[in-house]
Amino acid sequence: MPVKISTRNIFKNYGAVEALKGVSVDVHEGEIHAICGDNGAGKSTFIKILAGVEQPDRGEIVVDGKPVHFDSPHASLTAGIATIHQDLAVAPEMTIYQNIFMGAELTRNVLGLRLLDKPAMRRAAVGYMAQLNPSITDMNAKVNELSGGQRQAVAISRALRWNADTVILDEPTAALGVRETEQVLDLVRSLKASGKTVILISHAMQDVAAVADRISILRTGKNQIDLEGGDLTADNLSHYILSGTGDRFH
Amino acid sequence: MKKLIETYGTALAGLALFVFLAIFANNFLSTANLFNVLKQVSFLSILAFGFTFALITSELDLAFANLCSLSAVVIGFLISSDVAWPVAVAAGIATGLFGGLLNGFLVTVLKVPSLISTLGTASIANGLAFMITGGVAFVGRWDQNFLYLGRGKIGSVPVIILFTLAILAVVLVLSTQTRLGVHLQATGENEEAARRSGIDTRKAKMIGLALSGLGAGVTAMFLVANLSSAAPQMAGDFMLNGIAATLLGMTMFTPAKPNILGTFVGALIIVMLSNGLVLLGAQYYIQDIMLGIIIIVSVAVSASVLKRAAFAL
Amino acid sequence: MKNIKYALAAASLAGAAVAGTQAYAFELGVVAFQMSAETQARCANTVGEKAKELGWDAQVLNSNGSLETHASQLDNLIQKGVDAMILCMSKPVQFDGQFQAAKDAGIPVITISSGASPHTLFDVTPNEYVMAAEAAIYTLGSINFEGNILAQKFESNTGARIRGEVLDLVLSENPQVKLVGEHSMARTKSWQDDVRNGMSALILQNAGNFGAVWASFDGQALIIDDLLKEGGMEKGDVALVSIDGGQEVYRRIKDPYSMMTATVAIPFEDMAASAVEMMQKIAVDGVAKEDLVPGPYLFIPATLVDKTNVDEFIVE
Repeated sequence: MPVKISTRNIFKNYGAVEALKGVSVDVHEGEIHAICGDNGAGKSTFIKILAGVEQPDRGEIVVDGKPVHFDSPHASLTAGIATIHQDLAVAPEMTIYQNIFMGAELTRNVLGLRLLDKPAMRRAAVGYMAQLNPSITDMNAKVNELSGGQRQAVAISRALRWNADTVILDEPTAALGVRETEQVLDLVRSLKASGKTVILISHAMQDVAAVADRISILRTGKNQIDLEGGDLTADNLSHYILSGTGDRFH
Repeated sequence: MKKLIETYGTALAGLALFVFLAIFANNFLSTANLFNVLKQVSFLSILAFGFTFALITSELDLAFANLCSLSAVVIGFLISSDVAWPVAVAAGIATGLFGGLLNGFLVTVLKVPSLISTLGTASIANGLAFMITGGVAFVGRWDQNFLYLGRGKIGSVPVIILFTLAILAVVLVLSTQTRLGVHLQATGENEEAARRSGIDTRKAKMIGLALSGLGAGVTAMFLVANLSSAAPQMAGDFMLNGIAATLLGMTMFTPAKPNILGTFVGALIIVMLSNGLVLLGAQYYIQDIMLGIIIIVSVAVSASVLKRAAFAL
Repeated sequence: MKNIKYALAAASLAGAAVAGTQAYAFELGVVAFQMSAETQARCANTVGEKAKELGWDAQVLNSNGSLETHASQLDNLIQKGVDAMILCMSKPVQFDGQFQAAKDAGIPVITISSGASPHTLFDVTPNEYVMAAEAAIYTLGSINFEGNILAQKFESNTGARIRGEVLDLVLSENPQVKLVGEHSMARTKSWQDDVRNGMSALILQNAGNFGAVWASFDGQALIIDDLLKEGGMEKGDVALVSIDGGQEVYRRIKDPYSMMTATVAIPFEDMAASAVEMMQKIAVDGVAKEDLVPGPYLFIPATLVDKTNVDEFIVE
């Protein structure tokens, strides 16, 4: 698979704190790439830079072979990278379709007025959700009536609406139960199945072991270890994170 | 069943009240009285529509009643200074709108919580109204064309009722059928989510509060035209009634959310109640007690949104 | 479901009871513009009591000082079809439409201290000019028409303004009396502070140099009385004269430590009683209005109250 996103020697300081000290990661197209590491290893700074929330002090981001510069979340989105932050940022009291189309509502002309095209939004929302979780069909349901995994699907659908080909999921299974976690992992797999590239940030080693094609372990602001998934166990991963050394260096 | 009661319970209670009054209150069902009720609903609902928009964006507006009085005083001052009435009306409505925009500026740019900033503008508006009037009402037998707005009738239908229905239609479409309406709602529901979805939430809050001021200005026009006078405390009583109508509205149709149709029905219930209490011969204090109960019960039923607005300090 | 039925049944019974008790009595609608003002509350409550003594069914409403509420309440009473209305401190021009509607519906209206309207029977009122003249002349008399006085005015209320103008007129005819200091009260919620600040400055400026203080209404006089006491004055040092009347003022006129000397008592109770009595004669007995009250006003004489007659006014 060709490289979809490549970062070269990303540095980021917050005052005297060196959050990133040269992170270089290659994310391959159509793969699930997990970013792991202990607290303070630089995971969230790295994601903020990919999402355009923060700008690197040094280093380069290359998407599809072209250097890019993300000066805002919007720039990242238009480059085809959608980030789903940990808090999801859904409006629980609003419906599924309203959340999916928030800020980009579809309209139609009625007697010269541009009014909301609710049927079209509901239809399109069903289409987005079907890719992820076909069991949800009532687009008028409020998001707060959904399970954690289903909310995740709503947030991802909203990202898909932007025609993103890369989806970044920041700790998607944090605070979820076993069954819901499994739902989210299914979501991740179905994203991959539909040809998307997925970057997954997670503390949960089982989850990473279960779905990741490639894993980068960050440690004190650098990517210490890069691994290929497949036969790794959660214990293996924990060992790498704690010890900071990799038997199988790629 | 539970959902049905949640959604339509208050409206059904309103219907029950209507039937009750139709049976027991003499003359309640007379055409003249029904138009009388609708006319009183007009002032209250237009004012409360504005407050509803502010609340939809999760901001309180405690200034709308005083802004309405100030707008009224501006209209009265200009008309009694022999300014053409359409100009005076435009200036009055602009006054309300400006007050709303000022609230929006304070909340979104200076980051003063709306509970505090609108309390401040309420006091300023009150002071200005007394400054312009010196405490004395502007009174006169003003241009009949102007007074027609508030007193005119087509057949036996007061024209203000027709204006109100038109305004209801416009704000209903605006709030439920347009992108702006959804953006206001999204901003109120989850500002962060709305912002990340590319909605300009500061603009949304600004518009919500500006609409509240606009409602105050438009109501002022009708009030002045109806009473042919303008006084510095003209709309003082609308503060509580307007809030009550909106809160009552939050108990129906889209439970726990401020909504235009709910506000209209809320205003209808409140006016029906005060009309009915008079027809039934109740003494004056009963009305205040009933209004208080309505406010408390509606807030208890739909607390979450209001809490978010009131305590986002 | 069962509960709802019971509730409906109970509500129906309550409604029937309310409706039943009111079937045959003469219905009088009473509306006071602002009942948090003591004078208006006295007025409206007395109307209510007098009407009940006649066996009428009196419904008292309070407009909370809101023009729109007042208009709505008048409209509601007209729709109810009351037999008559008595209004306290209403406003004829603003409620022209409502008064006209009442007239068209054949509902007789008597107003109290409101001003005349072509659509009402008449307005029951004291003669503000006569009262003002009495207070002004009494003030000057208290210093034998010679010396200096202070005045606390209030321009934003019609009645209080008239009182001030009449004082000026009386002063212009008596050049031996000089107005050495006057303060005009602002119309704000903290008017008490305004009076206190303005007057205490005047009292200090003119210390020992004035023989009387005139105030445009009793509320001001009570504050000034306290200021004079704080300044170490005793009864008889200066005269303090005002207008309105009320139990607290009467008590102070009698109090050996208060400066309060005299007030012109507006007989709100008498006005209220007259309004009901006249309504009885016109609406029930069918006496022609013209035979009772020739013009648009029924003037009720106000009484000057000082230490000589204060005992008649104090209610224990």
